Amino acid sequence: MLLSVRDLRMYYKTKMGYVKAVDGISFDLDQGESLGIVGESGCGKTSISMTILRLLPDNAEFKGGSVLFDMGNGPVDLVNLPESEMRKYRWRGISMIFQAAMNSLNPVYKVGDQIIEAIQNHFPDMPLDKARQKVAELFTLVGLDPSRMDQYPHQYSGGMKQRAVIAMALACDPKIIIADEPTTALDVIVQDRILKEIRKIQRKLNMAMIYISHDIAVIAEVSDKIAVMYAGKFVELADAVTIFKQPMHPYTYGLMHAFPSTVGEKTELVTIPGEPPNLLNPPKGCRFAPRCPKADSVCSEVEPEYRELEKNHFVACHHPVQPKEVVRFYAE
Amino acid sequence: MLKFLGKRVLQIVVLLFIYVTVVYWLIEAMPGSFVDQYLLNPKLTPEIRENLKRQFGFDKPAHIRYLIYMKNFLTLDLGISFSYFPTRVTTIIAERLPRTVFLFVTSTLVSYVLGYNLGKRAAWKRSGLLDKTTTFVGIVFWTIFLPLLAIFNIWLFGVILKILPLNQFIDPNLWKSAPLSAQTIFIRLLLTALVFLIVFLIALLISNRLKTIPAKKTVLYTSSITTIVVSIVIWILSGYSTYAWDIIKHMVLPVLTLTLYSFAGSMLVMRDTMLDVIREDYITTAKAKGLPDNVVRDKHAARNALLPLVTNFVISLGFTVGGGIITETMFSWPGIGRAYLEALNTQDTPLLIGLLVFTGIFVLIAHLVADVLYAVLDPRIRY
Ligand SMILES: Nc1ncnc2c1ncn2[C@@H]1O[C@H](COP(=O)(O)OP(=O)(O)OP(=O)(O)O)[C@@H](O)[C@H]1O
Ligand code: SF4
Ligand SMILES: [Mg+2]
Repeated sequence: MLLSVRDLRMYYKTKMGYVKAVDGISFDLDQGESLGIVGESGCGKTSISMTILRLLPDNAEFKGGSVLFDMGNGPVDLVNLPESEMRKYRWRGISMIFQAAMNSLNPVYKVGDQIIEAIQNHFPDMPLDKARQKVAELFTLVGLDPSRMDQYPHQYSGGMKQRAVIAMALACDPKIIIADEPTTALDVIVQDRILKEIRKIQRKLNMAMIYISHDIAVIAEVSDKIAVMYAGKFVELADAVTIFKQPMHPYTYGLMHAFPSTVGEKTELVTIPGEPPNLLNPPKGCRFAPRCPKADSVCSEVEPEYRELEKNHFVACHHPVQPKEVVRFYAE
Repeated sequence: MLKFLGKRVLQIVVLLFIYVTVVYWLIEAMPGSFVDQYLLNPKLTPEIRENLKRQFGFDKPAHIRYLIYMKNFLTLDLGISFSYFPTRVTTIIAERLPRTVFLFVTSTLVSYVLGYNLGKRAAWKRSGLLDKTTTFVGIVFWTIFLPLLAIFNIWLFGVILKILPLNQFIDPNLWKSAPLSAQTIFIRLLLTALVFLIVFLIALLISNRLKTIPAKKTVLYTSSITTIVVSIVIWILSGYSTYAWDIIKHMVLPVLTLTLYSFAGSMLVMRDTMLDVIREDYITTAKAKGLPDNVVRDKHAARNALLPLVTNFVISLGFTVGGGIITETMFSWPGIGRAYLEALNTQDTPLLIGLLVFTGIFVLIAHLVADVLYAVLDPRIRY
């Protein structure tokens, strides 16, 4: 297994207490596989990737778990690595396209130089002209004119910066690339084009990818398997088709039906009523219980276990949704 | 860029004329004048009195004198000092400027280098030991009353520890039999410092092109140390080293005092901007790329936080030609700051106006340099 995350926990310490942003996350990722993580804003998606790469702010506290990563010479637990060792895995092993891709480029350096910096950091023996050639290839790959590598970020449009950031993430031929809502700042047409290109490149280079988004439609387009996240936890994980055809967690079910649905003549957007819980003190039992139509007294007392209910289909729910079952989120 | 420069130079010329006019009339409006004081002497006969008035130009009305002043100003002639009659104001400035510049440029340089390094480290390990101590110490020295700090330093190093001379520019006893004037030695010292600065800047440019940090450090350190050693050897061989050493010894205390007093300003600016920059996404990206901690700190964070600091630095450099009245008086340092005080006390208007005009020119030029430097350092700025 390329990446194997087990029971990962990371809390932010604040004046009011711990924000339980990553609370027992487990998943596996194989070579060439693409995992989509979907969840509402603030559920902890970015926090997962930052915990894996150990790029956490000062107030973050690692609370346990393991991140086994295998670059081809046996699994290494990234969690225990000394900082100097960890640096070798960043970008070379796991690289990242950040949520705020627009601001991921340092304004005072040429775009090409920032990519060369990453290459030469991991391949110190690569001569400059080789590195420049590599950058030119990457630029062509992501659809940028290679002559632009000697320009500064402010000379790029939003979409071009986005592509440059993708090129930078690919620079060291990483095993895994984490894409954290890389297209949110772009208009829909550019967004769609870049999405398709990311997927194409990922397949072509046979990289593993973790794609993070709050938009299930986007996730569907790029993922082999999908993890649904709610309030710091994964509530369901299965291959993309199963998640769409046969969701077993009421929250996933709700998300699937949060599409614009045409009922008779009028189209309306159906969403799950209520708000996600505050991660400072989430509900005691199931964190989704306050919004779940299927919740009962057990749900609000006992935390449901994250189990493999069917082969490769993980669900954390006391009362999984059955095939053909209809769950109504409205008092009708 | 050229168009911008042309526009700015034109602006500066216009500003300069307005500034000179304002300064001239402000000083003119001050009650009393050198001549009045001088002519009160009852021994003078009316003829001599009239004669003197004519010589100093006081027989003409103020606005005519202003026009004459402006005409002379165009040829860079700032007139003749009253109290040092018949020395030209420009001569006095030329004599005193090197002393002031050496003193204040050194302390400004040291305090900015110190401020930059401490500020970036303090912000990087926020609320660490270094952050807490430098911020505390910096603010204490910053808010302290400057003469108090000067007296304290004189007392500590001069009286108690007896390792540094109390004040003055030189030790008069030593210089009685000196083969060269203090000014000559001083200018040579200044030249040495200039050579060092140029070597250092060239080394900095070269090291910027090098890839690895050890290589950068080697270039910087070896070139700096070589220049220092070579210049020390040359000074010793020349036989004037005792005199040069005397001047340097006299500089330590004022430079120390000024540096202590002012480093907090640059340190706090650096720390503040650095704290902002650290939150930027490109810093996280730089870390994610697997770059070593100090590369992220220096190459990515500090480089961006440097911009406001550089502007501040250049403008402070502009102000250094004005010297400091308090510092130069406390340490009996015969520079421009002292000249201000003397000119005020003796109502030597030409000298006073000349000094103000001269300081103004430098500050205006410093602003221009700061603008240009900003464009060099920040690729987003294009004029
Ligand atoms: N440095 C921090 N200190 C305290 N709380 C934090 C910190 N960073 C994030 N959080 C909180 O942790 C939770 C998870 O944040 P995270 O950024 O991982 O969410 P996300 O799923 O990526 O959201 P989004 O879709 O908006 O990007 C949020 O509730 C957020 O408020
Ligand atoms: S455990 Fe209960 S409350 Fe939670 S999702 Fe399942 S049914 Fe709903
Ligand atoms: Mg996020």
